[in-house]
Amino acid sequence: MLFAGSDGSGKCRIGRQLAPRGKTDIELNMFFWVLAALLTLAAALAVMRPFLRGLTTDVAGREHDLSVYRDQLAELDQEVRRGLVAETEAAEARAEIGRRILRLSQSVDESAEGSVKPGTRLARAVAIAAVLAVPAISWGIYSLIGSPGLPAMPLQARLNEDPAQAPVEDLVARAEAYLADHPEDVRGWQTLAPVYMRLGRYSDAVAAYQRAIDLAGANPEYEAGLGEAMVARSGGIVTAGAEAAFNRALALDEKNARARFFIALARAQEGNGGAARAIWEEMASGLPEQSPWKAAAARAIAGLAQDSAQASASESAPSQDQLAAAQEMTPEARQEMIEGMVASLDAKLRESPADPEGWGRLLRSYVVLGRRDDALGALDRGLSALGPDSPDGKALSELAGTLGLTDTQVNK
Amino acid sequence: MSVELGHFALVLALALALVQALVPLLGARLGSAPLMRMGEPVAITGFALIAFAFAALVLAYVQSDFSVLNVWENSHSAKPLLFKITGTWGNHEGSMLLWVLILAFFGALVAAFGQNLPPTLRANVLAIQGLIASAFLLFILFTSNPFIRLERAPIEGRDLNPILQDIGLAIHPPLLYLGYVGFSISFSFAVAALIDGRLDAAWARWVRPWTLVAWAFLTGGIAMGSYWAYYELGWGGFWFWDPVENASLMPWLAGTALLHSAIVMEKRSALKIWTVLLAILTFSLSLLGTFLVRSGVLTSVHSFATDPTRGVFILAILVFFIGGALALFAVRGASLAPGGLFHPISREGALVFNNLMLTTAAATVLIGTLYPLLIEAISEDKISVGAPFFNLTFVPLFLPLLLAVPFGPLLAWKRGDLPGALQRLQFAFWAAGAAAIASYFLIDRANAAAALGIGLGLWLVFGALTDLAFKSGIGKVGPALALRRLSGLPLSMFGTCFAHAGLGLTVLGIVSVTALQAEKILTMQPGQSTEISGYTLRFVDLRPFTGPNYTEDRAEFALGTTRGASLGELVSSKRLYTARGMPTTEAGIRTMGLSQLYVSIGDRTPAGLVVRIWWKPFVTLIWAGALVMMGGGFISLMDRRLRVGAPARRKAALAADGGGTR
Repeated sequence: MLFAGSDGSGKCRIGRQLAPRGKTDIELNMFFWVLAALLTLAAALAVMRPFLRGLTTDVAGREHDLSVYRDQLAELDQEVRRGLVAETEAAEARAEIGRRILRLSQSVDESAEGSVKPGTRLARAVAIAAVLAVPAISWGIYSLIGSPGLPAMPLQARLNEDPAQAPVEDLVARAEAYLADHPEDVRGWQTLAPVYMRLGRYSDAVAAYQRAIDLAGANPEYEAGLGEAMVARSGGIVTAGAEAAFNRALALDEKNARARFFIALARAQEGNGGAARAIWEEMASGLPEQSPWKAAAARAIAGLAQDSAQASASESAPSQDQLAAAQEMTPEARQEMIEGMVASLDAKLRESPADPEGWGRLLRSYVVLGRRDDALGALDRGLSALGPDSPDGKALSELAGTLGLTDTQVNK
Repeated sequence: MSVELGHFALVLALALALVQALVPLLGARLGSAPLMRMGEPVAITGFALIAFAFAALVLAYVQSDFSVLNVWENSHSAKPLLFKITGTWGNHEGSMLLWVLILAFFGALVAAFGQNLPPTLRANVLAIQGLIASAFLLFILFTSNPFIRLERAPIEGRDLNPILQDIGLAIHPPLLYLGYVGFSISFSFAVAALIDGRLDAAWARWVRPWTLVAWAFLTGGIAMGSYWAYYELGWGGFWFWDPVENASLMPWLAGTALLHSAIVMEKRSALKIWTVLLAILTFSLSLLGTFLVRSGVLTSVHSFATDPTRGVFILAILVFFIGGALALFAVRGASLAPGGLFHPISREGALVFNNLMLTTAAATVLIGTLYPLLIEAISEDKISVGAPFFNLTFVPLFLPLLLAVPFGPLLAWKRGDLPGALQRLQFAFWAAGAAAIASYFLIDRANAAAALGIGLGLWLVFGALTDLAFKSGIGKVGPALALRRLSGLPLSMFGTCFAHAGLGLTVLGIVSVTALQAEKILTMQPGQSTEISGYTLRFVDLRPFTGPNYTEDRAEFALGTTRGASLGELVSSKRLYTARGMPTTEAGIRTMGLSQLYVSIGDRTPAGLVVRIWWKPFVTLIWAGALVMMGGGFISLMDRRLRVGAPARRKAALAADGGGTR
């Protein structure tokens, strides 16, 4: 009955879905406290036991020694009978054991053995303290470290949980479990790949895109995604393998924005800023206004102008891309993913604020999310952390200017 | 809910352990019988509560309840059921819980079967047990709690370290802990006697069975650990002088010494102080072993600092118990009455020699294990003390001990007859010598060390048998009478014989593997064959295979003799456990008689698959010998004489005994 774990938590799940902290939860909780109380009672009874029943009188200590010596004498006799010990040696041994017995009865007279007497007043007080200590210590410590209300969550109960409430990691684990059984499902891999990107599991993203391509054949989106995952995996550098993937994507669809963006980035990283700028400019002009790639290209060009092409471009692109990828998800999951990412970045910067790139990314994220107040707050914190007059601080102010947060730049 | 109830039961067990630690001690001071007896029901109830907590944790593992942090960190829902259960103690928190479970189990045994102990001794022993349990329960609850919960249970767990996903985890740690923790009883008896200031013949009788139990389990635990490392790590070695292994060897050496000195104390009232000291040292070494393995000190002194609470807590426990016991020993030890005198050439003398050698060997291992840690702590240098150090120090210490083992049981108490013993051992000596010479000429006429080693192993086996033969009078009396005498011998004599003969078997195995094994490393293409020690091995193919939570490349080999007879198939594989992305090797082992053919595969290269093949003659004797030793321990334990009869039961027991021998 105690171990009805999966059953009990199944109830919890329903309870949680219909009404948070439903009736079953409370019932289960009551049941737990009743059982805990019963255990405590049993423990207290164990402490009281010597007082509850009549005592058998113990044998005095010297009786035990005497019995050992008697056993030794008997063993000696047996060994003599077997011929293992000569009679003269046995006599000597017997004499020695006899001497020990003699010494024993002498020493016993000195130490009064019968001093064990039941229940003085002090003893009773100790006993009462001991009995009271059991519930006091156990309930005291348990209330500090226990989590009595938390229901068990065995595998089945977890799988039955409402997916809408689960964090992204769980959804991914679910998808992985599904794909382990259905490895031929292209749509599964195609959905999972961008999610891996967002979670920072770039190697898994590479594998997932590769798998999708293997199953469904060449496809510009998959190839471009594969290339991007490879770039992310190598820390923002467009490797030869990644460039090959982008070229394959362009061969199938010469207008693929993602592939073109990264081909340009490859040029920039090779030091060929002119070629990079040409591609980005051509690309920006051909894209509709709301495309995230248009903004990315514009920023990359701006970054190129500041002669820090690699850093800013590679920083900005994936985050833009992550947002784009998020559009393929369910609304709840997307919201949670974005909020989670930004919140974790914010928290990270509160802990270690000496990170100029991080502040830049945080500003951009808040602007993109339309949370202008948060962006201004982040700018304030970033400037005070980096120092408004330091080169990093100035770069941040400049970025704030390009993002349209100029007013605060003046104030601070 | 069962998890939380288990957590609560564990906290409750702590409360009971504190009561058990304090009240009986107070009772002994106040002279109150009920207070002194309180330890017994409390110890038994405490064991029941810890067992409940442990069962709750096992259940959480079986159900893959990842709302428990510990389960999530060390389990995976795709793991086979057996490894879900054994995974419970395949991690720090769970293994500490197993440790206290066994501690409480031994405490409960003393409470249940210690009715014949003098009341103050019983009260003190249970109090010391309660003190140890309190310390470890506090440690578990506040630094290594396996019942910490997660608000949101993740869908999938992080899986257990693949090396631990093996049947070995089901056997090795429980046996080892039964050994380690079993010595806590000897320790409690020693400290209780020091508190009482009384140490007598009866004390030695009570301590011996507990020491014997712990020793037998520890022997088995070490042997199983060695065999596990042998087949799982894929290096083909059976002992690596690894600090973790040394940590289990030290209490074994000290425990073996304790076992023997307790005999002297019981029979001759001599070596009392020494026995008490050994009892304290043995458990101290067990604690030290737990500390070294559990605190992370061994991987590096610096990793110790990454989790300071845990390490400092264990260190405090160590200082408290070892320091406290030794301080008590210093104060009270001198007041214990010294025992009987004996001649150097006597059973006592032989046992003293045994004790000297064993404790020196234990000290050597201790130095070899701690010295690198000390150097690293002081100078940041990392040095490793490996097999060469131990071969140079441990082996020379152990050789004279092994040579002397057969003499011990043949010498008389008090004053022995060395020429007589030599005469009795003649047969064993010549038989072992003949075997050594024969093996010298049979093998290659070059390996004298191997021949001498084989002679030494057989000397131990024959010496042990000689003792039994002599005691039953074989050769002196008719075979019928000798047989009757043999069956009438006390079981403890058989125990001695088995333990000593088992030691000989282990020595035989170690010597033949170290000196005579053949090794071959090569790259193989499918279809290629190779020969080793009279066997041919043909590499058939490398095939992928998917297990429940791993994928593996299986290399299949066809095994045959060089004369062409087929011996079937041998599979060796490289596994990748997907959840952790960790590879393991699964060696292919074929046992033929007492010897084994051991195949382990390496990486694929353009030239083919890297294959390592060993022919290990008589390798199984190493562990079989240890099992025989363990068996000897249990046979000895069944001896009625070791189970001390209560004074009230004495007459009946004597009568039964007399009837049996007449």
